[in-house]
Amino acid sequence: MLRAFVYLMVGWILIAVVGGMADVLSLTIMLPATSVVILTHAAFSQSTTVPLGLFVAIALGYLEDLHQGAPIGTLSLAHGLCYLVLRWASGRLAITGFVLRAAAGLVSALLLDGLTLAILFVLADPLGVPREALLGATGVLHWHALATLLVAPPLWSGLDRLLVALKLDDRPPQQAYWTGK
Amino acid sequence: MALSLRSIRNSALIVVLLGIPVLLLRSSAQDPHRMSAFDRAVRRIGAPLEAAVSYSAGMLGAFFERWVLQARLQDTNERLAGENRELRQRLRELVHLQEENQQLRRALQMREKVPEDMIPAERVGVDQSPFFRVVNIRIDRGREYARPGMAVLSPDGVVGRIDKALDDYSDVMLITDPRSKIAVELSRTKAQGILEGRTEDSCTLEVSKDYDVELGELVLTSGVDELFPKGHPVGQIIEIEPLVGDQQRLHVVPSVRFDRIDVVWVVLANAPHADPRGEREGPAVQARGLQPVTP
Repeated sequence: MLRAFVYLMVGWILIAVVGGMADVLSLTIMLPATSVVILTHAAFSQSTTVPLGLFVAIALGYLEDLHQGAPIGTLSLAHGLCYLVLRWASGRLAITGFVLRAAAGLVSALLLDGLTLAILFVLADPLGVPREALLGATGVLHWHALATLLVAPPLWSGLDRLLVALKLDDRPPQQAYWTGK
Repeated sequence: MALSLRSIRNSALIVVLLGIPVLLLRSSAQDPHRMSAFDRAVRRIGAPLEAAVSYSAGMLGAFFERWVLQARLQDTNERLAGENRELRQRLRELVHLQEENQQLRRALQMREKVPEDMIPAERVGVDQSPFFRVVNIRIDRGREYARPGMAVLSPDGVVGRIDKALDDYSDVMLITDPRSKIAVELSRTKAQGILEGRTEDSCTLEVSKDYDVELGELVLTSGVDELFPKGHPVGQIIEIEPLVGDQQRLHVVPSVRFDRIDVVWVVLANAPHADPRGEREGPAVQARGLQPVTP
């Protein structure tokens, strides 16, 4: 439970940090999806139950909705579905090392964007979102995924270290996070 | 396959949890711009955090921007310093050219004013005393044009006489040389005498005490020696020394700064005397140096 709270707090802080940095650096499209990295970490560490992880995902999605000004529920549902897919994949794949973590961040970001666009496309009429704008947004998704790819390894390692420091990960440090040795 | 109670409970929780965003979406679809009290509360709770992060990010960005700005300013400063050095160098060259231009203009003006037959020469070397006084200068006219005894003038006054004429250059004996003797007269009193070189930077002249000589009076060439054209400035009286008898010795400082000479004029031939009747051609005065000198 405490681990889920840590995910939620870190995710909230990172949402605010990314927003602030985007404002300062005048970035609009190449912004990392930090929530997706947290979801991937939560899914592949398998240290929380599925309902608790799903709760974290939906809560982070809700915060993203509020922060990005999306129709409330869009990113919440996309995050929830994305978490379930990642959790399903975590039973078949293992992620170790910087490269795989970066690749996981890239794939997860593309998955989340795909789910979000799909939800918005289906609900475009009731939500009042023009479908042409959604089609236009697909052209910049790779920037979003690329930024997530760059951010995923350090963020993943940071989460590992934080959980070990808070004694929420009982694995020895050499196994809890990759030391580079 | 038997399902455990835990699996059923988790599945139910998943369905319930997924139902929450679905309900939220349904609410948004009904009124996309409406924010619930819960939404506003969450935003209110998160506002200080976001404000703090934005402020920190802003400070970081400002620091970064200032750092970049300073780096740019440093680059600009170095570039401007380089340009400044280059322009200063160019300014020095221009000042030098300006001085040279002025000297040449004065030399040309002198050429127009003086009726004598003259040829310009450039200083190519100097001899200095142990006290850094110029005692001899060398010009770039050799024996093809110059011969010993020819007068050498500058726009400021008399320089001296050709001492030695060699193939490509000539040495000039300055008026301060102890061997130098020039026929001169004083500008105001018209007292005439022979100016002799005395030291490295002065000459002396002896005239009768009958003349009321004053300090600062100009000394000009008299033309009596037929070497130096009449009326050219030679120097200025800086000291009057009474001698035993009816003579007084005048100490004269040359009007020419020998260390600043660049261009001089060598007098090849004096101007013909004026014809009072204006009918006959004046007798031709043989040039002293334009033709190759035959030994």
